[in-house]
Amino acid sequence: MTARPWATIIAGLLLALTPPAAPAAPAAASGTIASAAGTQPDALLYAIFKQLVEINTADSVGNVTTAAEAMAQRFREAGFAAADVVVTGPDDRKKNLVVRLRGRGKHRPVLLMGHLDVVEARREDWSTDPFKLIEKDGYFYGRGTLDMKGPDAIMVATLIELKREGFQPARDVILALTADEEGGCCNGVSWLLGNHRELIDAQFALSQDDYSVMLEQGRPMFFKLDASEKVYADYQLMVTSRGGHSSEPGPDNAIYTLTRGLNRLAAYEFPFELNNVTREYFQRMAGLVGSQRAADMRAVVRSPPDPRALARLSADVVEHPVMRTTCVATRLEAGHANNALPQRAQAVVNCRILPGHSPREIQQALTSVLADAAITVRYISSGGQVLEQAPEQRGFAPPPLLPEVIAPLEQLVAEMWPNLQVIPYMSAGASDAVYTSAAGIPTYTFAGLAVDADDDREHGRDERLGVESFYRGREFFYRFLKSLTVH
Amino acid sequence: MTITRALATSAAALCGALSLQASGIASPAAAPVTSAADEAANVLAYDIFGQLIEINTTESVGNVTTAAEAAAKRFRDAGFPAADVVVAGPNDRKKNLVVRLHGTGKRKPVLLIGHLDVVEARREDWSSDPFRLVEKDGYFYGRGSSDMKDGDAIMAAALLRMKQEGYRPSRDIILALTADEEGGCCNGPKWLLENRRDLIDAEFVLNHDGNSVMSEHGVPQVFELGATEKVYADYQLSVSNRGGHSSLPRPDNAIDQLAEGLLRIGRHQFPFEMNNVTRAYFERMAAFSRGDTTADMHAVAKTPPDPQAMERLSRNAYYAAVMRTTCVATRIAGGHANNALPQRAQAVVNCRILPGHSQEEIRAELIRLLDDPQITVRYIADNGVVSDTASDRRGFPPPPLVPEVGKPLEAAVAATWPGLKVIPVMIAGASDAIHFSAAGMPTYGVSGIAIDRDDIRMHGRDERVGVASFYTGNQFFYRYLKSITAH
Repeated sequence: MTARPWATIIAGLLLALTPPAAPAAPAAASGTIASAAGTQPDALLYAIFKQLVEINTADSVGNVTTAAEAMAQRFREAGFAAADVVVTGPDDRKKNLVVRLRGRGKHRPVLLMGHLDVVEARREDWSTDPFKLIEKDGYFYGRGTLDMKGPDAIMVATLIELKREGFQPARDVILALTADEEGGCCNGVSWLLGNHRELIDAQFALSQDDYSVMLEQGRPMFFKLDASEKVYADYQLMVTSRGGHSSEPGPDNAIYTLTRGLNRLAAYEFPFELNNVTREYFQRMAGLVGSQRAADMRAVVRSPPDPRALARLSADVVEHPVMRTTCVATRLEAGHANNALPQRAQAVVNCRILPGHSPREIQQALTSVLADAAITVRYISSGGQVLEQAPEQRGFAPPPLLPEVIAPLEQLVAEMWPNLQVIPYMSAGASDAVYTSAAGIPTYTFAGLAVDADDDREHGRDERLGVESFYRGREFFYRFLKSLTVH
Repeated sequence: MTITRALATSAAALCGALSLQASGIASPAAAPVTSAADEAANVLAYDIFGQLIEINTTESVGNVTTAAEAAAKRFRDAGFPAADVVVAGPNDRKKNLVVRLHGTGKRKPVLLIGHLDVVEARREDWSSDPFRLVEKDGYFYGRGSSDMKDGDAIMAAALLRMKQEGYRPSRDIILALTADEEGGCCNGPKWLLENRRDLIDAEFVLNHDGNSVMSEHGVPQVFELGATEKVYADYQLSVSNRGGHSSLPRPDNAIDQLAEGLLRIGRHQFPFEMNNVTRAYFERMAAFSRGDTTADMHAVAKTPPDPQAMERLSRNAYYAAVMRTTCVATRIAGGHANNALPQRAQAVVNCRILPGHSQEEIRAELIRLLDDPQITVRYIADNGVVSDTASDRRGFPPPPLVPEVGKPLEAAVAATWPGLKVIPVMIAGASDAIHFSAAGMPTYGVSGIAIDRDDIRMHGRDERVGVASFYTGNQFFYRYLKSITAH
């Protein structure tokens, strides 16, 4: 998924968090459900992980279909019926795998989602070959170890193990391993929903495209459950002026017009707004943070919110975007020669839009905040195209926090990481959940992987995942899926 | 000339101020050929002009020495003693020519300067070969046709004609045709002043670089005598920031911070200041202007100046630049990704500094204005090198308007363009005049070439000079030179 600023979030939390009563020690698998391997290394899981990392699935030269086929073969060999193992897609290099573990039909299916594609990685930037799985100093290194071939491998291995056990879930478990989450022609989830909805239709979806156990120097701080997403939008601000010779500057200067607008934007705050996820987030976080902040969090959840508490929380970099759409200038460019007045000045403004609002609406808001007809505001699509008008589609409303998902999750988290709180969260980035949510399939994102706040290397060089974290994540998922589908 | 002079706007400002119905406005000038000798001088000037254009003297692949040698040969062939025709310089490709026409020694010499180098020109950008002199539709086309091989040819032709006529001037006339005015390792005037001052020492200097006759639709409006120069300076403003993910905007944003600083500079007015040249400029311009503007020009030239008149005149960008140092943002750049907070934002601020002030003084003033220690202000040298401080050498004070230059000039202008007024101007950019002025040799910009305000192509594509303008300028310069050396 799009890399997120966890270091900053944790750093913000740390200022406020009261330390947990006791460091959460790794708990032994003690529940009624345990996998054969537990948290120990598992040859099958490792083999799948290695195979996936070593198939290059980057958009440039990789091939997602190769990875999809490799996993399909494993499922068929594990005894899945050929009809339940479908490899399909609009492009030879971008095929998706959909596998179904048949259940008793007591409930509608659950959909498990993972993307097979990875972002680019250049050998010369890395310490090791990014397309070789290297184990070193307690970490697995390789492109996609965290985002998200590690989680993909965990899902594949879990389904194969359940099949071998002869486990019959109460509902069908569907696994979709897809293409182009990171960008590219052929987003798999979108394509499947549009072309083979019957293959993946489900009551709700679970994505593992984000780790949940937030560590600070190895210590778990909380368990993050992504239940809602902001909408990502880039806007291009542009000012033109006639330019001319810099020896006679006049009042008409594209740079000043643009910078005046940017200063107005920097001073502007979008309206305060909560939804069921962010309301729950504040209520639960209030139990974790220091007293003033806790009081403020409780005070903004009330209706009407307390204005002073709101002002204090709005000044907090971490909490501010939870309550408001944010727009920030991220790029700037103007002028063509030191000694000529600029003929054009441009900026990129990056917005993270609260659910329920459309990029079009924010485009209009920007236009009115900038308050200058000389500044045009255009929308930049994810493909880089500049459009006069932003899309009108609104971000999906956060789904209800379904008890059949939340209850087993909280129980399992309590078993595996005693004292760790499950905190519903609104993610500031975009993932494939946007498609399933828009299609009316409530989607929750969480994974039992633990990553240190300072060590998020998604999309970066030397991407890695802790070996212990990986096997624990596998244990978590196995137990969660089983408890979710046992009844 | 270094393309820093604001000819276009200056003429535009003039037109705003001039009554187009003013009596005595010169009609489009035809070359005042009055004799066979004049005609022969035009043929000679054309011949030299063509030869110089066709010798590529760009920094990249050209050779200034070749042009200097070609001109030297003409002088030797015309009977100049070898000792009076010196080709010298620090570099095989960058040699300068210095020629001396001996006078009676009644007065100290006059030095004529012109640069032989031209800026780059690519065949594919041009309609014709830039290194061929092409005559078409009343214009001569070619790189250097207006900057300044036209002037070089005219000055050389004047000396050759005088020699042929056996003319004995009252003072030595020295012609220096030099390298690297447009940039490069080896600025000719600087090198000559440092190494062969004896060759070029003079009472005053006439610089042919620039066009004195400002026209509107081919009709000369005013004769600009370049009498002083502002100092050119570029400054780099830079803000660094730790950056971060754009989903968590912070109050400290490099772009917003730079934007605020730039707006403070944009709002600032440097102090009003007059010198003898700008005072004379306004006094003379007053006669061309109408009603309130006339009164305002008189009022700002007085001591103390009238603040309201100053304020009204400042609304005109050209007049504002005559009265004050100006600084303007010409370039900005910041940010590295749409979805990341900028780690750096930079701007270029271009200043034109009144005589009497140093680049370092203005840098300090910018720092004071910005009032933000996180915005660094560095000096960008002509060669692009950025340094922490600038030169504290003050711009040379304007030289007095020497009567032996000014009086004959008015007569020569009146004879060539009846009714055209001579107005001393402060050039907003730098030419080689700066080196001579710094060496204590008063330097005046005088050329008889007319240029239309809408047709300035120096440094641009399809550079050109009017055929009639070239020949008129040729006759004018010969006459003017004779008039200042007759007695």
